[in-house]
Amino acid sequence: MSSRRSRISEDEINELVSKLQSLLPESRRRGSNRSSATKLLKETCNYIKSLQQEVDDLSDRLSDLMAGMDNNSVQADIIRSLLSS
Amino acid sequence: MEAESSTSNQQRKRKRSVSDTPDKPAQSTWRTDKEHRLYSSKLLEALRRVRSGSTLPRTEPPRSRAIREAADRALAISARGRSRWSRAILSSRSIRLKSNRIRFPVPSRPNRTELVRNQVADREKKKSVVLQRKARVLGRLVPGCKKLSFPILLEEASDYIKALEMQVKAMSALTEILSMIGGGTEGVPGPVQESGADTSTTSTGINSLPPPA
Repeated sequence: MSSRRSRISEDEINELVSKLQSLLPESRRRGSNRSSATKLLKETCNYIKSLQQEVDDLSDRLSDLMAGMDNNSVQADIIRSLLSS
Repeated sequence: MEAESSTSNQQRKRKRSVSDTPDKPAQSTWRTDKEHRLYSSKLLEALRRVRSGSTLPRTEPPRSRAIREAADRALAISARGRSRWSRAILSSRSIRLKSNRIRFPVPSRPNRTELVRNQVADREKKKSVVLQRKARVLGRLVPGCKKLSFPILLEEASDYIKALEMQVKAMSALTEILSMIGGGTEGVPGPVQESGADTSTTSTGINSLPPPA
């Protein structure tokens, strides 16, 4: 990065983005390098969003499950011992 | 960092099949069994804390939010300070809510005369503008990465993706286990017992916990 600090060259961008491509789930269905950098970036954003959404949903379910723990039942005891060991 | 990522690959029930060829050591982070166990035990700890702190009435920020944050914190701790996003999570949980409101700055577009004059350069410029915009969006998604340069941002994003995948996996496994156990009582809105004594080590004799790493 000698004199052009304001802009990274396009090749570098493409190289970096192709590194990212291997992580995305859908990229293995297409042939490689068929997506431009912008598409890959967009897919990355969507993928991260969907992962975060999934974590939110799982947290919801977990909170519901844990709410069920407040009962006095055998199952609740099991769960409690699971979480408190 | 061990490169024993093949077992954790087989455990994946999803359609993804990442080739974790260890050409660079960073690939094997977040995928090893050891990391999974580490995260799972931290997650359980965090959930325990949420539970013991859950004498709040239900009208408070709902427990799911607390669980999400606890899981994120556990994830960030498992990163062991390797990545910026994990440090950002740990240092600024409450600021995160504020940062969602910041608009990403749109770089100025070339005006019409320039467009007509040099189309090739303009196309490149447009492409880089769009790229920059997408990069900003990405920077907003990954915690603590709004102002990073492009290559670093991508690296953080890839690490974050891998960590998120592990988080999803761990949490869904936990959810599955708990829902199997609590099969009959799930969703039953029993009276919330605000007994502060949560460390009730009831001796049910069941020790199905995975051994903490």
